[in-house]
Amino acid sequence: MIEILIGILSGIISGTGMGGGTILIFLLVYMLGIEQHIAQATNLIFFIPTSIIAIIINLKNKNIALQSAVFISIFGILGAIIGANISINIDVNLLRKCFGVFLAVIAIHEIYTIIKWYKKQKIRDTKKNEN
Amino acid sequence: MYKKQEFVKNRNMKNIAKKMIIGLLAGIVSGLFSTGGGMIVVPALIYLLNMEDKKARGTSIFCILPMVITSGFFYYKGNYIDWNISILCAIGGMIGGYIGAKVLKKIPVQYLKMAFTIFLIYASYKMIFN
Repeated sequence: MIEILIGILSGIISGTGMGGGTILIFLLVYMLGIEQHIAQATNLIFFIPTSIIAIIINLKNKNIALQSAVFISIFGILGAIIGANISINIDVNLLRKCFGVFLAVIAIHEIYTIIKWYKKQKIRDTKKNEN
Repeated sequence: MYKKQEFVKNRNMKNIAKKMIIGLLAGIVSGLFSTGGGMIVVPALIYLLNMEDKKARGTSIFCILPMVITSGFFYYKGNYIDWNISILCAIGGMIGGYIGAKVLKKIPVQYLKMAFTIFLIYASYKMIFN
């Protein structure tokens, strides 16, 4: 039951394009005490059905640059073979720490985009005042 | 005329190189952590290939599915898939995705982003130091 709730919460966040996967993995590891590798594998399965639906909708709305997408995918598959093999062969604690560092990097990027948005907002406000 | 052709050729080569790097990097991250590929592909498409926001998001999902399936194959071989948990989470995910599509439009993205950032800082601290 808790698994479904964690899935629902992560699914809601995924809809915003903010990486519901990070939340899913974190909650599985810290609420259910699931091993990092298994939590990550769960996220892979979690991603497949929702993303297939999203792809169909986006194809219908012509929101996919197909040529670029196929090209990036081919190199993505190569990268995934490398990444997945590293992941399944390293120690759980090391993987979890690497994941933590990765989350910190995303956090820094998010802070950067928020600051950028605020600056834009300020410029817009001053322009409004001038008018 | 010749120069223009040269310019177009150079630009195409540059774009091809960019796409190769985007794909490889996103694939490695996707395989390593099983998530985060989109957080690389979406900004990369917007800033490096000048794609518009909506199209970048659509394209990124298309790119990431093959990476996820590839990674999934190796995690499966490593015996790391717990089908019971996975299917329950996937069912929840579909329900959540539906709710999210309906409800989230009403909440300003900036507030969600701030909440998500606070979560990230907390989660990264726990993952590194616990």
